[in-house]
Amino acid sequence: MNNKKKFDFRQASVPVMFIIICAICIPLSGLSPKMLINEIVTRMGRNSFLILSLLIPIMAGMGLNFGMTLGAMAAEIALILVCDWQIVSVPGMILAAIISVPISVLLGIFCGNILNRAKGREMITSYIMSFFVNGIYQLIVLYLMGKVIPIKHSSIKLPRGYGIRNTVSLLSMRQKLDNMLAINIAGVKIPVLTFIIIAIMCLIIVWFRKTKLGQDMRAVGQDMEVARDAGIEVEKTRIISIVISTVLAGLGMIIYLQNMGNIATYTAHSQIGMFCIAALLVGGASVDKASIGNVFLGVVLFHTMFIVAPRAGAYITGDSMIGEYFRVFVSYAVITVALIMYETNKRKAKSAASMELAAAQDSEDSKKSAD
Amino acid sequence: MKDKITDSIKEFGLPRLIITGFLLLLLILAPFVGADLPTQISNIINRFSWNGVLVLAMVPMVHSGCGLNFGLPLGIISGLLGATISIELGFTGAASFVVAILVATPFALVFGTLYGWLLNKIKGGEMMIATYVGFSSVSLMCMMWLVLPYHSPNMVWGLSGKGLRTTISLEGYFDQALAHILQINIGNISIPTGTLLFFALLAFAIWAFLHTKTGTAMTAVGSNPAFARAAGINVDKVRMLSVVMSTWLAAIGILVYEQGFGFIQLYMAPFYMALPAVSAILIGGASVNKASIMNVIIGTILFQGIVTMTPTVMNNMIHMDMSEIIRIIASMGMILFALTRKTEAAKR
Amino acid sequence: MNKKRQLIFRCAAILLVIALAVVMFVIGRGHTIYFDNKACEYGGKSYDAYYKVTVVKDKEKVAKLAEDERGMADLMGQKLTVTLEITDKKGEEPHSHKVSMPIPYSMDGVVINVPLLMAGQSADAYMSEFVPIATPEEDEEEEVVIDEFEMTDDV
Repeated sequence: MNNKKKFDFRQASVPVMFIIICAICIPLSGLSPKMLINEIVTRMGRNSFLILSLLIPIMAGMGLNFGMTLGAMAAEIALILVCDWQIVSVPGMILAAIISVPISVLLGIFCGNILNRAKGREMITSYIMSFFVNGIYQLIVLYLMGKVIPIKHSSIKLPRGYGIRNTVSLLSMRQKLDNMLAINIAGVKIPVLTFIIIAIMCLIIVWFRKTKLGQDMRAVGQDMEVARDAGIEVEKTRIISIVISTVLAGLGMIIYLQNMGNIATYTAHSQIGMFCIAALLVGGASVDKASIGNVFLGVVLFHTMFIVAPRAGAYITGDSMIGEYFRVFVSYAVITVALIMYETNKRKAKSAASMELAAAQDSEDSKKSAD
Repeated sequence: MKDKITDSIKEFGLPRLIITGFLLLLLILAPFVGADLPTQISNIINRFSWNGVLVLAMVPMVHSGCGLNFGLPLGIISGLLGATISIELGFTGAASFVVAILVATPFALVFGTLYGWLLNKIKGGEMMIATYVGFSSVSLMCMMWLVLPYHSPNMVWGLSGKGLRTTISLEGYFDQALAHILQINIGNISIPTGTLLFFALLAFAIWAFLHTKTGTAMTAVGSNPAFARAAGINVDKVRMLSVVMSTWLAAIGILVYEQGFGFIQLYMAPFYMALPAVSAILIGGASVNKASIMNVIIGTILFQGIVTMTPTVMNNMIHMDMSEIIRIIASMGMILFALTRKTEAAKR
Repeated sequence: MNKKRQLIFRCAAILLVIALAVVMFVIGRGHTIYFDNKACEYGGKSYDAYYKVTVVKDKEKVAKLAEDERGMADLMGQKLTVTLEITDKKGEEPHSHKVSMPIPYSMDGVVINVPLLMAGQSADAYMSEFVPIATPEEDEEEEVVIDEFEMTDDV
């Protein structure tokens, strides 16, 4: 009981620290409340869906899915194609989503299989995986597009005739989803439709947890061997969790990019995994436990820090770069601390279990010797 | 017979076979597509001399079972501190290299000790945390490079007079400090004998160390910690020693790299430096828990060979520079392969 | 039996998604429509430009064209419906016409000549494909940056 309380305190410590950082930085940044709220609401719409995609692998005990980048890349390929076909606005997004799903599923199956061969080191493997697939993505986008995959419009093609430009404009889709049903409250634009989609996703996740598959995933996450003995197909369940995560990340990336209004073809996905994971952890999640509440708290706190830190840093030191480096440092530090906490807890639990085992054995031994 | 061949292929690893074959193919093709082979080989030797020590820095941690040192940037930062402080103190020429090593050493020892202490707390999850320790330290140092009181006009931004530049030229300092020792020049080829000797010295030292009592203890800890503990070895202490050694070698490694490259790169530059070193040693035949000096040498030659050869050969052949992508796919594929293999070994 | 039903359901779902994709292809196709208020000759007759044309699409003014001017509007789907408010000569009251026409799927950009359109000519006459003038691209190749650590402002 006591142990549990302590654990909760640890979980809360990161959000509390961020609330303090934000509380100090907000006044120093000199941003008006209206501007700040506007920014936060925009970023909530932009990022929440992406972060939701991280929840299911955590449930299945596979840790933070650094491989969510794979889904982001699938989405980018789909969007580039849709952009070339000149399918615009919301239909374009739906089409991109439809195209991205099979790519995401394939990548997810690939990633899941690799992760099954690297049990116990899923995170580092999925992290390297994201780099590996990034290489393949670049091969496709930089060399195959325009040569093998037809690309018609020179506005997205490199002057040399193949390969995609550094940025692809999504002007025809820019905030089309956000602006649908958008309402304006006291100068703050609220992208209602985007929020409705996110809310539906949350409901689906809540429902999913209660299904047979969701229960299986939790069982696998708790103890693979026990789950296997209970007749659950552990490998398959783990692959499914990664596939779902990758697909959701792809859809999230489409929402993200329609808000941004352009694709940074070669860099947009590279940082997305890191920032989403940092945001989730800031919301109080840990490597083996995350809830929907963590997602939203995390988005608000992390992005508030992200918005105000450079300005506050500039105000304090007179150098805007320091604030920018500060927020990058904080993102990495949060992930580092969360990982360390997770590993130390795991070790503690392990040593406690082995101690119990040893004690049991000891008593048995002494019984035997007494006999 | 057939089984033997498939067995040895399995032992060698398919990715490694592909990479070796690919490099051989490049070497054979090079003269046909009009690339100058001697220049290419000279390039490979030079790049080997720059990177050798950084790859060598993997060895102690792999031996003690701490896994691949994705936290290499931490050691690199010690080296960068050494280099910048040496210049700040006004040393020039080869002396600045010696001072840089001397200054970097205490930093490496302190950082390495802290890092080792941390890794001892989280046995089993070293690689992921090492990665993020590296990232955190690099981004922390990004702020430090701006804030620390450096004044040397050759290093700070000209306009504001404070904050270090992103790249600092080493001309007049330790540019080619080692390479120029006993350098051999034949036509297009120049062999940086000094750097190679320096690498050989360090490699020999590590080799010799691994054969001392402490060194064998380290190997024992890596291959079977429970057994090592039973044999009365202080596992945590040995692991700590290996981490400190790795960190120090990384610090020296980056200095050697810089003297060859001619520039100090600060800020985000050390960020991904661990990945080429990790994949190099894996290509050389190491695994997550086994690495030898031979792996370092072969791996660095193969990796740097591909890095230098692909752009020229590819460009001459198909007029497309796909080298970057080949490098990413090959090196990351190699790391993935190594990561997925450990479990098989553990199951056995 | 159950397996078979599952299979049927799956196939149906996939077909449904493909159908949705096809629908998106049709309704989501974007075109850029260029309105020309230019004098021109067609079939031996000449047509004068108007003094002023205002193009209203979805109750929104998208272009205002003086003589010899070109305006632009975005269109989604293959059916263009606009209201043209035309002023023949300076000082005269504008009269508005609601026009609607199909746009060929294959054309990205479509040029519509308003005088010809108002004269009741056929689609072949007033509609033509907009071909972007190939601006001679600056010789310097766009440098592609592959793996660079970039701290993006917008995340």
